[in-house]
Formats: sequence, structure tokens, C-alpha cells
Amino acid sequence: MRGRNLKPSRVYQTALRLLESQSIEQPPVWFNTIGSIPPGEILTRTQPAQHRETKFNSRIRKPSKMFKPQPIEYEEDQLRREFYNDHPWELARPRIVLENDGRDGQRCDWSRIQQLGRPLSGESVVQRQLWLIQNNGLPKNAAYDVARKEFYALRHEQEVERRVAKEEAMWTGAYFGKSMLEIGMQLEDKVYEGWRVWARTEIEAADRDRDAAYTDIPEADHVQAADDMPVEEPVAVQ
Amino acid sequence: MILRNVAIRHGRSALAAPLRRSFLRSMTTDTLTHETDALDHSVHNHLKETHSIEGNINQLNLTQSFVPPSNAREPSDSIKTDYASQQRLNKRTGKLGATVEKGYVPDALVRNPPKPADVTLELLMASQSHLGHSTSLWNPANQRYIFGIRQGIHIISLEETAAHLRRAAKVVEGVAYHGGLILFVGTRAGQGPAIVKAARLSKGCHLFEKWIPGSITNGDQILAKCDVKVVDKDDVEITSGFEDKVANWKALKPDLVVCVNPLENYIMLHECGLNNIPTIGVIDTDADPTWVTYPIPANDDSLRCIQVIAGVLGRAGQEGQKRRLEAAKTETAEDKKDAANSLRRVAPIAGETAPEQLRGKSSGQELDDIDDEL
Repeated sequence: MRGRNLKPSRVYQTALRLLESQSIEQPPVWFNTIGSIPPGEILTRTQPAQHRETKFNSRIRKPSKMFKPQPIEYEEDQLRREFYNDHPWELARPRIVLENDGRDGQRCDWSRIQQLGRPLSGESVVQRQLWLIQNNGLPKNAAYDVARKEFYALRHEQEVERRVAKEEAMWTGAYFGKSMLEIGMQLEDKVYEGWRVWARTEIEAADRDRDAAYTDIPEADHVQAADDMPVEEPVAVQ
Repeated sequence: MILRNVAIRHGRSALAAPLRRSFLRSMTTDTLTHETDALDHSVHNHLKETHSIEGNINQLNLTQSFVPPSNAREPSDSIKTDYASQQRLNKRTGKLGATVEKGYVPDALVRNPPKPADVTLELLMASQSHLGHSTSLWNPANQRYIFGIRQGIHIISLEETAAHLRRAAKVVEGVAYHGGLILFVGTRAGQGPAIVKAARLSKGCHLFEKWIPGSITNGDQILAKCDVKVVDKDDVEITSGFEDKVANWKALKPDLVVCVNPLENYIMLHECGLNNIPTIGVIDTDADPTWVTYPIPANDDSLRCIQVIAGVLGRAGQEGQKRRLEAAKTETAEDKKDAANSLRRVAPIAGETAPEQLRGKSSGQELDDIDDEL
């Protein structure tokens, strides 16, 4: 696996030499096809696609960096970064990144933020903002505000719809299980109950210890202190 | 309808007010006006009669056919009217609203692979063929296929992918046209269906399990149990006449190998190189393009990308096979003889006008009969 083996890319030439030297009687099946469609050039480096302006004394103009692929930057990258910095929880919403024919982007019209067949997401804000910048000539921040507020209004609408739908469903008898708060309270109660049991045993143990302490040591003191008194306890202990 | 009984059926309420014209019309089965007038007259007569006999109605012999009023209704044709109204409603409103379409069929690319002409850059991008590996893992030999860097990975140029894919499709088509044996190899998990489909379309062989090392270089030993069949120009099997040829056959070797994961199949590609067999391979940014004859720079980790590439090559093979069979039907004997010179697995027999072609069929792992699989 080490080194370069150029044999695969030279199958036609090899077959040609074999035929010329009459090592094989007839050409292989692929001979004409591959002779007419030779493999492309490999291993050579070309000037990579230039995605940004390079200064004259830029580091990537060094001969060693000249053939390195360059980072791809788009105009909306900065907008996207800003939006998700401000709304990090938008990243937690599930999204579909699958496309059938790859033409979904061509079916969008960003003169309005809502698109047919595409759910509202942070990307809607970014694209809408970009459209406002490019078509209405708004400055970046103003376009951001416009797109963002449209987005907020739609999210609010969705939230209200969802809540009303839930209320209607519950009114007609739907049951959605316990709420988060109820589950939390249940867990907390469980811990308290456990603590109560544990505390009871602890108190009992402490009481026992204290009683034992009082029964052992003070009685000995008591015996030593008042040895003239008739005492039954040592007898009982023994 | 017997109008004489109306008075008795409907009792006093019907007799209290004179019957309206419309009521009478509704009772008649005929709507002619002179008849209605006649009926009107007869009803008036009956009214008079009934008034006269109202007191002693029980003495009338008509009472013997008296039917007491009941709640049972006339048999209604509600089903018919409901059906008609439903039809009318459907006709008026059926085209309103949205139609629910099937959004995504996961194996659409396997069931109906795209043709080489259908390959667009959008399709390639949607099938994730542009995603390479991390920039630190790259093989600098692939620099010319790389478009740029994004989020730490190399992005493969879609134009390069499309160009190389079209070229590979032409090669597959040409080899299939000349009757070559094409082997499709994809040994990663999940690549099986696409590989089998491609092999079936191009009437080739497929391998989706491990390549047994030496199947080409030591094929006489490893494929010893496999048998071979002889087919004529129309791919119909010939059972007799070639026994001596079949008896001393050598293990078949593919004429073209399509490998969608070259990284795992280095040994196979090396064997192909040793035997001077051309190969087509999907080269990711971390693979070595010198391992294969025709590299297709694309993402070999995406099953959708593999489905697109294998499907396109399979369609190309299908086209080549179709053209070959058509040519076998239409071309003259001389043309066939010329074509025979470019065919490899030919049993040259004097006096035969049509060249026969030996085609591999084996019970071994990689040369399974395609039709048994699916």
C-alpha cells in the first residue's frame, strides 16, 4: 500500500504492449472502450477554487499554501452565527435536513418569512434577513429586527395554537399524563418520604445510644459514688 | 290512487278545510290539468257525500276497508338521495384543498435509479456526495477534486463528481455493450441493495460481503466449485456442443470492477491491477486515487451517494446491454464476425455464424446469479 502504483491507470497501455508483443492473442473486451475514453488526469495539483479576496502579501500566497483548498464563506454565515448566538435554544428544535432532489432552496420565496412545506426555523430568519438586505437595502441590524420580530410573532402564534389545541383536547377528554411540575413534586415527595423513614431509624438509633450511655456509665458512677446504698443493678447486669 | 278513501284515511283534519290544489297535485300520479280539474270535481262530490254521511259513517260499507293511520312511513329512498348528494358534493368540492403527497421514500434511489442523463449537481448535493473527510485526514492526491473547506471538512467539487461519474458511466456502458463481465463491489453495511440492483440492471455480478483474497489471482483454486454456462448472442443458454470447452475452463475474471468502497477492498483492487483489469472506484478525500483506473470523487460514507452512483452505473450497464442485444438482432453475420473479434469470451468454432459467448455463472460468493438474489 506504500508508494504510488500507477498500474491501474495504465491498463490500456499495458494491454497495448501485451498485444504488440503478442502475449495475448486478442484484445480484452474493454480495449476499444477504454481506448476511446481514457482515464482522467490524477495526482496533479491545480489552483484551488478561490473563495475570498487575497491580499498581495497574504500568507496563503506562500508557495507552500498556494495549492491548499480554501475555506468556503457565504454571506449568511455571519448572520446565522449571530442569530444562533442570540437564540441558542433554536438549535434544540428538531429539523429535517433531508432533501429529495436538492431543489428545495429554489422553491423558497423569502419576500415573506413563511414558506410552503418548510417549517419555521432559525434558518428562516437568516434567509429572510438576507433577502431584506439584498432586496430592500436595509442595513444588517434593521433587517435582523424585521426578520426576528416576524419570527417571534409566528412562534407566539404557534404556541397559542398549541395551547388552545391542548385545552380543547383536554376538554373533550384527552389525558396527557402528569405535567412536569407534578412529576417533580412526586419525585420530591418520594425523597421526603424516604428521608422520613431514614430519619426515624436514625432517631431511634440515637435514642438507643443515649439510653445505653445513660444506662452503662452513670450507673457505674452511681455505684462508685453511693456504694453504701444497696444496689441491685450490678447483680442484674451480671 | 283511490281518492274515495282520502277522507276516511285522513279523517276530520283533512276534511275540515277544502283541499288545496297543490295537495291534490301531489297526490296524483299524473299532472295534466284537465285531469286535476276532474279530480277536483270528484273530491268536491266526495266532500258533499262525506258531509252527508258524516253522522252515520259506521253504517257505510267503506269502513270495512278502513286502514287505521300508523306511524310507519312510506319507504324512503334516502340512500339514493344521500348518494346523489354525496356525488354532487364531491363533484363540486373534490378538487378543493391540498393533496397529500408522499414526501420521502427512503429506497426510491434503489428502486428507480437515475440515468446518467438525470444526474444534476442538485441531486448530487442532496445525496451528500460533496461531504469529504476532516481536513486532517485528507490525501493530498485528491487536491484537484476538492472545492474548499467548510466546518473542518473538505468539500468535494460537485462538478468533478458529475464529470467523473459520467465518464465512468460511459465506460460501463461500453464494456456492457461489448459483452464484458462487470463486477459491482460494495462491502459496507447497507450498500447491498444498491449494489445488487446495479448488478441486476447491467447483468453483471455483485459482491456485498467479504472479498476472498485470491479470487482473481488464484481463482482456479478458490472458484473451483463454480460452474460456467455458455450463452449465445441473445443470452440464451446453450446446453450442448461446448462440453469440451466447459470442461477445461479457467476461472472467470471480471472485465470491469466497480468498487464503491476502495478503502476496504485494497486487496481486490491490487489483484485487478495485477491482472490488468480496469476498475472504477468512489474516491473520498482520504482515499488514494491511484488504486483505481477511473476515480469518482464522492462521499463513500453516505448510502444515498452510493445509491446514486451505483444506480447511475447500473443504468449505464443496462443501456449497454440493451444496445448489445439490439445489435445482435439487427447486425449481419459479417458485423457479428467483426464484433466477435472484440469479444473476449468467445468460443471460436469454424462454421458458426454467430459468435457464442461464455458467461460466468457460479455458486461462489461473488459470482452469484443475480436473479436468485432479489
